[in-house]
Amino acid sequence: MTAPPTPHIGMSLPKLDIPITRKLVSMGAAASRDWQPQHHDPDWARDAGLPDIIMNNYTQAGLISRFVTDWSGPSGRIGRLRFSMRRPVCPGGTAKFRGMVVDISAEVDAMTWVEIDIEISLDDTRATTATVRLALPATARSRSPWHCPAVKWRP
Amino acid sequence: MSDLPQKVKDWLGKPVIVVDHVVTVEQGLWTNFCVAVKDGNPLYWDYSVSREETETVIAPPTMLPSWAIEHEWMPGREGPALRTLELHFMVKDALGLKNGLVTEVELELHDPLRAGDSVRAEQILRSVGEERETRLGLGRDWEIDVVYRKPDGSLAGVQTLHLLGYGKVAA
Repeated sequence: MTAPPTPHIGMSLPKLDIPITRKLVSMGAAASRDWQPQHHDPDWARDAGLPDIIMNNYTQAGLISRFVTDWSGPSGRIGRLRFSMRRPVCPGGTAKFRGMVVDISAEVDAMTWVEIDIEISLDDTRATTATVRLALPATARSRSPWHCPAVKWRP
Repeated sequence: MSDLPQKVKDWLGKPVIVVDHVVTVEQGLWTNFCVAVKDGNPLYWDYSVSREETETVIAPPTMLPSWAIEHEWMPGREGPALRTLELHFMVKDALGLKNGLVTEVELELHDPLRAGDSVRAEQILRSVGEERETRLGLGRDWEIDVVYRKPDGSLAGVQTLHLLGYGKVAA
């Protein structure tokens, strides 16, 4: 298995560019079992004052998680994910995911907590900002964060 | 919050909507989600890799809220399913607002879910803001927590949603 990265403050995550298609928006909503009409019905969305169907928050969370664990590998365990949707993500254009390590904790229970700031922009306009708190093994010999006992898991 | 309808005040701080084991977690459903977002994390796909980390494959942790959404249709049920976040719609309707949007989400993730698991989700209204002018018209903000537990009571996660309601319905 690929070793987890050794993070440092200011380290950038590999860039990720994703075309936002009608298929992705509706497939993400359906796969997350979200049948609210603003995620699949353009007429309904426009009547609600939106430009088009919008990506649901579950799909955005899934993409942010993918962006982070593509970098960390499977031993990276997300404890907390917070994101603000400043502008609707609609079909058309490419979403650019950019992320940077902004904080690293001291070792706690064989884990290092890494805080990552993420921005998703569409057409060079910020659409979503996120902060992820990710646990990584503190050293190459530390146990995986997935083996952390529930009572010691403090995300 | 003195101008709130009494029923909204009564909802504050306690579980108002409880959704219990409406879906059994299973790999086919979470694979559809991984395909949609093209997430190749082996913990969701690969039994040999996941054995070292999580004993077996797990559902993508950020998919947690999806396991507490009622089936759109099911035999024997009269009336429609509860909406995706029913308490949000109850608040929106009680405040006479036409539309609602999620503006901020926080997910605190605990014990991961595996095939065969289920969750009980409690929706709790935490706060409702004053009426204010928004880019989409007159509206209000409110905050809802959803607490997800497995049948044994262990915590699977907590979702906190910040929501905006807008578009006053004509009286």
